[in-house]
Parts: sequence; structure tokens; C-alpha cells
Amino acid sequence: MTYVIGILDEVGGMLLFFRRILRGIFYKELKIHEVFVQIWKITSESLLTTALAGFFVGAIMAVQFGLQMAEFGALGYLGGLATSGTIREVGPLLIAFMLSGKIGAYTSAELGIMRVTEQIDAVRCLGADPIQELIVPRFLGIIISSFFLLAGGLLMSILGGMFMGQAFAGVNPQEYIRHVPTIVTPFSILSGLVKCGAFALVLATVCTYKGYTTSGGAKGVGRAVVATAVITMVGIVVTDWFTSFLGDIIIQAVQGYRQ
Amino acid sequence: MIVFIAEAFAGLFIPPIRFKEFIQQLYFVANKSLVIISTCVCFAAVVTILEYSFHLKLVVQNDSMVPGFATLLILRELGAIITALLLCSRVGAGYASEVGSMQTTEQIDALRMLGIDPINYLVVPRLIACVVGGMILTIVANLTCILVAMLISQSYLGFTPTMFLSAMHRFVDFKDFFFAVVKGACFGAVIPLVACYYGFRCQPGAEGVGKATTNTVVTASIAIIVIDFILSYTFSYLY
Repeated sequence: MTYVIGILDEVGGMLLFFRRILRGIFYKELKIHEVFVQIWKITSESLLTTALAGFFVGAIMAVQFGLQMAEFGALGYLGGLATSGTIREVGPLLIAFMLSGKIGAYTSAELGIMRVTEQIDAVRCLGADPIQELIVPRFLGIIISSFFLLAGGLLMSILGGMFMGQAFAGVNPQEYIRHVPTIVTPFSILSGLVKCGAFALVLATVCTYKGYTTSGGAKGVGRAVVATAVITMVGIVVTDWFTSFLGDIIIQAVQGYRQ
Repeated sequence: MIVFIAEAFAGLFIPPIRFKEFIQQLYFVANKSLVIISTCVCFAAVVTILEYSFHLKLVVQNDSMVPGFATLLILRELGAIITALLLCSRVGAGYASEVGSMQTTEQIDALRMLGIDPINYLVVPRLIACVVGGMILTIVANLTCILVAMLISQSYLGFTPTMFLSAMHRFVDFKDFFFAVVKGACFGAVIPLVACYYGFRCQPGAEGVGKATTNTVVTASIAIIVIDFILSYTFSYLY
């Protein structure tokens, strides 16, 4: 029972913190320069990691789909299917996992160190609002740069799939690309983008909250980072389910309305 | 890093085998992560089944093959890799911050002064526990995933459990299950090695611990994805 109450406590704390961030975004002056600094820093630091992960994810998907399509005798569809599966579902999920390791852990460690070494209190002492100065730029930076990173990762995943299709299933790149436009609709790309945005929102809220509320020295920083990594991963999987489910319901409602 | 891995594997065969430590670590790895992993895998299974039926409807106009294909995808890929990534964030980050704070408070130097080999005392029990725990968790995650997939395909796509199980019987070999366990063991071995490597090289202070933890999660996730690719490619010739 205490476990359940603890979870509710944590979720409530995060939602309250999210409200404070939103208030910081909309009612106070936005530090545009800081936001761009964060976007550049996050994107340039994580691009290599996500591109590498994306390449291998694409390759894995091509191998797995290739095995099953070969049984079915429909290897021509390999490119379209693997790309569609990656863009709609697997790409955003695995790239968000990578981001939660890279950006989430990094941001919460950075904020946690600031909290432990009393730099956040110093900011408040100087008459500035730490939410406005530190949290909001990071929050917006994570959300905006995650779209750039997703784009990079997905492009690399198509490249990896093409490469593996050639090497493993004998589907040459032209054949691989040919079926992509017939299977990947604009709607698939939109659903991938919506998922990515939702994951980034969860990730940014959790990592800034855990970093901001760190306590207890070097050990506390380690604890905050571990908690961030675990909570973001669980949050991402749950959000994934939620967006698929909700998206499905919305599509059906729209189709029913049209008819 | 290679030297460190070699030392850890050599340490497996050096006499003082710390059985009690191993049991404690196994409890931490397997039992404490069980709830999180099975919850996450449930959600992943729901999404997989729905996406799979969407794609097959798009390409071959019917989704009668969904149970077999989705089970194969779960067993060959999804169960093992989601388990490994979650384990990496939970156990890997935990080990890195634990060993890192031991390093910064000079507890590891104290161990060395007492004549205890830190690799034998810290790394080896964690390595064995993670390999065993990874295998067990992969099995549990796969079973949970398939069970949830069965429930969802009954309520959304209209496959009865009998149809699901008979399709599964037709598509899935024992080999698939065995390779999933091998994958789990390999991923399990990666996590403590990376975590302890970064933990031992942790710089002093809060900054060092944070950096060691971040590096561990990133490196271990990348390593898991790359190893998964290599294993999938190798196993694809054995099916």
C-alpha cells in the first residue's frame, strides 16, 4: 500500500512541477538565447548516439522482417514494411530509449549537481527565478531537439535497412525504396512525430523534476540519475501504449464521422 | 576496457567464490526488476499486436497470419531487447552509481588494502548474477508478452486462444526460445561489465558519479543494440 501511495505521490509531484514549468513558459519572459544554446548542445551531443542506434535498429528490423517475408514469398514488400514499422513504432520507441539514457540522465545529473552544490539556491538568492533561468530552457530544448534527433535516427534507420536488405535478403536499394511511398503514408509519419513529441514531453518533465528535487550529496545525485532512467523508460512504454490506443480511437471516430 | 573484461572473466575461475554475495545480487537484479519489466512488456505486447495487424492488412489484405508472425517477432527480438534496455537503465545505472560512489569515498582502495581483490569481490558476483538474472527475466518477459498478445488478439482481432496457440505451434520452434535465452544472457553480461568499468574510473565528487552513470547507460544501450544486431544476423542463418 505504501508503494502505491509512493507512486501516486511521485506522479502528483511531477504534475505540479509540470504546471510550474508551463507557467514559466507562458507567463514569464522566455530566455530565447538560452533555449537555442540548449537545443544546440543537446542535438550536437546526442546526434552520433541516436544515428548509430537508428542504423542498427533499421538493420535489425530488416533482418527480422526479411526472415518472415521470405517464408511468405513477399520479399518485394520488405522495404516498405520495414520502413513503415520503423517510422510508426519501433524507431520513435528505441530512439526515445536512447535519448532517455543520454539526455535524461545527463540533464538530471547536471541539475542534481547544481542542487547539491547549492547553485540553484544561489540563483534564487540573486533574485532570479530558477524555473525561468534553468528549467524552462532545458525543457524546451529537449522537446525541440528530440525532433531533430528523431529525423536523423529515422534517416539512418532507412539507410541501415537498405544496407541489410541488400546484404541479407538480396533486395537491391531501388527495390527497397520503391515500395516505401505506397506503404508509408503521411499519416504514418504524423503518428511517429506525435509519438516522439509525447515521449519528449514525458522525458523532459521527469528528468528536470528528478534533477531539481535531488538531495543528499554525491550519493543523492547517483540515486536521482537511476530514478530518472527507470521512470523515463517506464513512462515512455506507457505513453507509447497510450498514444497508439488514443490515436486508434480518434481515427475511428473521424472515419465514423465521415461516413 | 578489454583488459577489464579479460580480468573479470578470469576472475570467474579464481577460488574465493562469494556465493552469498551472488544470491544478494541476483535478488536485486531479478526480483526487484520483475514488476517493472513485466508491466512494460505488457504494454509493448499490446502495441506490437495492433501494429502488426495494421501492417499485414495493408500488404496482404488479411490478418490471419498475425498470431504466428507476432509471436515470432516477440520471441526473436522484442522480449529480449526490451528486457535488456530496461535492465540496463535500472541495474546498470544502479551499479554505476554504487561502484562510483564507492570509488569516490575510497572504499575500493580500502578493499585493496585489506588484500581483497575488488574485481573478485565486486565485479564477479554481479556478472554472474546479471547473466543468470538476464536469462530468467527474458524467459518471464517472453511468456508475459505472449500471454498479453493472446488476450489482446482475442478481444481486438477476434482470434480465440486456441487459434493463437495452434498458429504459434506451427510457427515457433524450440530453437527460437533457446536463442532468446542466449540473447538474454549476452545482454546480461554486457550491463555489469560496462557499469563497473565506468564505476571504477569515476572521478571524485558529485559530478563524477553523475557522469559515470550517464556514460554507463548510453554505452550499455548502444552495446546492447549492436550485439542484438550481430546475434540476430548470426542466428538468422541457423533457423
